[in-house]
Amino acid sequence: MNVIFVAPLIVSGIAAVLAALISILDMIVNNYGIVKIVINKGKKELEVKGGGNLLQLLAGNDIFLPSACGGRGSCGACKCVVKTDIGPLLPTETPYMTKDEIDVNTRLSCQIKVKKDIEIEIPDVLFNVKQLEGVVEKISDITHDIKELYISIGEETIEFEAGMYVQLVVPPYGKIKGETQRAYSMSSPPSDKNHVEILVRLVPGGIATTWVHTELKEGDKVKVIGPFGDFHRMETDATMICIAGGSGMAPFKSIFKDMYERKINNREVWYFFGARTGKDMFFLDELRELEKKWDKFHFVPALSEPEESDNWSGETGLITAVLHKYLKDKISSDTDREGYLCGGPGMIAACKSVLTDNGIPLEKIYFDNFA
Amino acid sequence: MKMTPAFKKAQGNMAPGVITAGGFLGDDKRDIKDIITEDEERMEYFSLDYETVCDKLEYLLEKGGKGLGEFTTVDDTWLVRTLEARGHLPCPFEDGIHRKITCEAVNLKNNRKILFSTISIHLLREHHFHEGKGSEFRLDPESLKKVLEI
Amino acid sequence: MAPDINLVTLFIASIFTSNILLSNFLGMCSFISISKDMKSSNGLGLAVTVVLGFTGIINWLVLHYILIPYGLLYLRYVVFIIVIAATVQVLEMVIDRISPALYMALGIFLPLITVNCAILGVVLFVEIRKYNLMQTLFFSIGSGLGWWLAIMALSAIQKKVQNAPVPAGLKGPGITLITIGFMAMAFIGFSGMVNVQ
Repeated sequence: MNVIFVAPLIVSGIAAVLAALISILDMIVNNYGIVKIVINKGKKELEVKGGGNLLQLLAGNDIFLPSACGGRGSCGACKCVVKTDIGPLLPTETPYMTKDEIDVNTRLSCQIKVKKDIEIEIPDVLFNVKQLEGVVEKISDITHDIKELYISIGEETIEFEAGMYVQLVVPPYGKIKGETQRAYSMSSPPSDKNHVEILVRLVPGGIATTWVHTELKEGDKVKVIGPFGDFHRMETDATMICIAGGSGMAPFKSIFKDMYERKINNREVWYFFGARTGKDMFFLDELRELEKKWDKFHFVPALSEPEESDNWSGETGLITAVLHKYLKDKISSDTDREGYLCGGPGMIAACKSVLTDNGIPLEKIYFDNFA
Repeated sequence: MKMTPAFKKAQGNMAPGVITAGGFLGDDKRDIKDIITEDEERMEYFSLDYETVCDKLEYLLEKGGKGLGEFTTVDDTWLVRTLEARGHLPCPFEDGIHRKITCEAVNLKNNRKILFSTISIHLLREHHFHEGKGSEFRLDPESLKKVLEI
Repeated sequence: MAPDINLVTLFIASIFTSNILLSNFLGMCSFISISKDMKSSNGLGLAVTVVLGFTGIINWLVLHYILIPYGLLYLRYVVFIIVIAATVQVLEMVIDRISPALYMALGIFLPLITVNCAILGVVLFVEIRKYNLMQTLFFSIGSGLGWWLAIMALSAIQKKVQNAPVPAGLKGPGITLITIGFMAMAFIGFSGMVNVQ
């Protein structure tokens, strides 16, 4: 009987002792104690339990760096500058870094572990970022492929400047196993502090847009994180030349509403909005209404390929061509002019060159590279 | 055909949630090696060659860009929309990263549609991989023939 | 009883005359695959030496205080592997904490060593040759250094071979195996000098 029991006992005994040893050691060795994270030269100091990754530790303390992939190192959005020496750049970080970023020791916060006191720098506006639990109050079909989400965040408030964006958290659905986040510009004015409104255009194959268009219903709970972004109206007297297409409408809707509400009337505002056919055009009546009430506001919608049935009487052609025509003939170049763009990179590049060709310097062109 | 370790790795990377949320395989349960072999044969059957097809797709993607994010008519034959999103995607075969530019092309004569992205063109040109059946970005040889008219 | 070999002789012998790699051909897989790169070879050599030193001693203690008294010698393979795996795990954690720089240098090699047959081989030699504790220590570390020496030598030679006109069919593993053969012959030349078996 001894022989039968001794062997298994000894082997499992040795294994158990070693396993216990590893777990005890793990508790001692991997316990980094309380470490300090100093943000922006002491503007904020956090005391956190060491060992975790920077992105999560910051999120645990209500500081949200932008992150589209949720910390999997696949979007490259959660960059921050690290002032302390924490070792060389990891292979998982290098693909997302430009040379300039490496020179100032920019790191991907989701990839670095905080093991000792660390000093980092992040944009100041990120201190305002909150994670908000909301309820979808209304979903409206704006066009055949754009939906407007009106999300109530209840008692919570969101403080932002018109033009900024939020990240919508998309829970796992269907075949998609992980949580994802996507950025959308807010179309609600900053005065509506208890709501977040966004425009979501269906992108074929898009995870978040498909979810919003097929799964999300009124009354559902959603999570948004924000506000982020540095796209906003400059405080000058210059004429604003705003150009958008598709869901690029969102930040401008917010900006114009904000200006109208606050009676900012010291400057001319031109708004060029491009779509292909009548069924892609939206908010026409609202914007024309605004044009009537507000003498400094000029709305120029344009269709690039209008159909017979559209009965289109407005401008036709690509928005760049229409813009060029107006800059030449209608918009005075005596006052300073500023360009505001919201659209995909291709549209931004094309509009930028039209603006610079017409004498608007590059440093006065502001854009929100969405999509 | 034998699955090399590199192919197994690639197949793993193609699962939903690894590189893209939907993955590259759709409902296709076969090994990618089998998918590639079958599609190569069908490409031959439709007498399509990879270089011509990829050049055409790149042409449409570029022309679609002129629409600035909206649908635009190209050569009176196609309605094309090119959308550019933030960031890059790595190739599942781990040989480089690509911009996230997707393109939808509809042939106006027969209303057949294909959806592809920069990474699809790379996968097709370099790896002869059309994506699994049921994947939204699958470039089926028959659809390619009908849509591209070559 | 323990063989009568003095410690210095044993140490030197385990590095040169009975080199664990080139006369016993243990630990070949990582030897061939890693030796392409000199920096990695160095890291792996260091890791092997460190792990060998620790596992040699621990396994000797387990052998003499647990396995032999209870007559469980037939379980030695299982037990040795468990001990090696645990030791590597512990070392990995400790090194990560104490010296992150060394941890980065060892990188992925440390966990890889768990399955390196040289480690198990040395422990089994210790058992067969009935070394005592001090002899085990010197033999283990000596073997590690020997392994380190061999992989460094091979990767240095490989660097030369890279620029040499090698026939197409022999490129890669082919020429590497031939190189190892020559090296082994050279090392076996030492083998008459001292006998540790």
